[in-house]
Amino acid sequence: MTASSQTQTQKIHDVSSKGYLNPIWAARADKLQSATGLLLGFFIIMHLHFESSILISKEAFYHVGHFLEGGIFSETGHGFPVLTKFISAFMLLVVVVHAAFALRRFPAQIQQWRALRSQMTIMPHQDTKIWFWQLITGFLLFFLAPVHLYDMITNPAIGPHLSAERVYHQDVWMLYVLLLPAVVIHAMFGLYRVAVKWGITTKRMAALKLAKVMVVYLMIIGIASLMTYIVIGQSLELPVTPFVPS
Amino acid sequence: MSSPRTISFEIFRYDPQDPNDKPKMVTYEITEAPGMTVFIALNLLREQQDPSLQFDFVCRAGICGSCAMVINGKPTLACRTLTANFPDGKIKLMPLPGFELIGDLSVNTGKFMRELAERLQLWLQPDANDIDIHRLETPMDPAEAAKLYELERCVECGVCVSACATKQMKDTFVGAVGMMKIARFEMDSRDTRSAEDFYHVIGNQDGVFGCMTLLGCQDACPKDLPHMQQIAYLRRKMAQTIVSC
Repeated sequence: MTASSQTQTQKIHDVSSKGYLNPIWAARADKLQSATGLLLGFFIIMHLHFESSILISKEAFYHVGHFLEGGIFSETGHGFPVLTKFISAFMLLVVVVHAAFALRRFPAQIQQWRALRSQMTIMPHQDTKIWFWQLITGFLLFFLAPVHLYDMITNPAIGPHLSAERVYHQDVWMLYVLLLPAVVIHAMFGLYRVAVKWGITTKRMAALKLAKVMVVYLMIIGIASLMTYIVIGQSLELPVTPFVPS
Repeated sequence: MSSPRTISFEIFRYDPQDPNDKPKMVTYEITEAPGMTVFIALNLLREQQDPSLQFDFVCRAGICGSCAMVINGKPTLACRTLTANFPDGKIKLMPLPGFELIGDLSVNTGKFMRELAERLQLWLQPDANDIDIHRLETPMDPAEAAKLYELERCVECGVCVSACATKQMKDTFVGAVGMMKIARFEMDSRDTRSAEDFYHVIGNQDGVFGCMTLLGCQDACPKDLPHMQQIAYLRRKMAQTIVSC
């Protein structure tokens, strides 16, 4: 590097260091937000499919649950329900990291909020509107996601009857009614944004269409399985006995 | 042949130099002509109805970038917008937000672009010790030249800045125009600045890591520049850069 360009770089360093003591964290924050978002997004897709196996039959859900709890590794074939606790605790940690870095994006001051709303009124724009809904759902998930994860850490019982008891008799359906649309909208459009943000795809319109289709599809299987749990819950007598396939 | 229709323009009017003036919307009517653009209509309005109407133009051909404004909720160039595009004949004009207002539809994009160029050092920086005016310049690889020309098409109209909600929320954000120009010099083999040098200019929350990928820039750019791909390229490049603090 020449003397003059060294001086120039030094100047740039001085200007940059005014606001950022360690500038590498700007890149790390963006990467961590996207990486945790990807993990959470794909986790949600898998999660909703696994829990929707109740739509096939009680037996199907029973076997999916036992398989995911590591049934093939246990002598009884029932797996280790404690795995649910560990996975829930790990996902809570991922949610915390994701939320911590996503906070940078929130309009923290009232002027910023007004600027955003005014922009959306004067110049309506589809992707800005989608991001706005990600912002709203992201804010809701600060409160809804930890409640669900805490429930799964403290009460990890999963099964056709035990899950139905949680949904219907313990009134957790009220949480799921809010959590389902918030998480599906946030996650699917979040995956779309990560894809276009890092140049994973250049086919933006196709990616956006896929995200919209996924929102509708996941909402349908999510609502259908939630209603199935409510119906099963209504038919159960307390105290609930765990389902055993005949 | 059907008779020409009358179209109405609802125009933002305000002179910040006049302490008694208040922002208001004023409606004008004009007879549409074949092939009429918003720019032509504005000139007719100024000639025939209101000589005090302020708006900018130079080239009338989408090259100078002066006549950018918000037309029915979309920031774009007045000279490239046909009045025929609006079937109801109602056109609402607002000045580009995010810039200093000179008056009515005229904003000071020049001041913004100059400050941005100085802040980001948007000029070619060749090796200062390797200058020999008698030597023939090394020919540039045609593929590289084509890439640079693609990005050089930016006319600095300011549309990407106004279309960006991130920029509207955060005044210090450099916007797509700044990143597009940085990408242009980063690709130029004659520029001696390293990836680390560029990182210290845009590798922060005001630069490429502050962009939320709302893509207003991509959707509104009147020159159809590949903002989405360029910002993604720059983001990947900067994320791979090892920076010494």
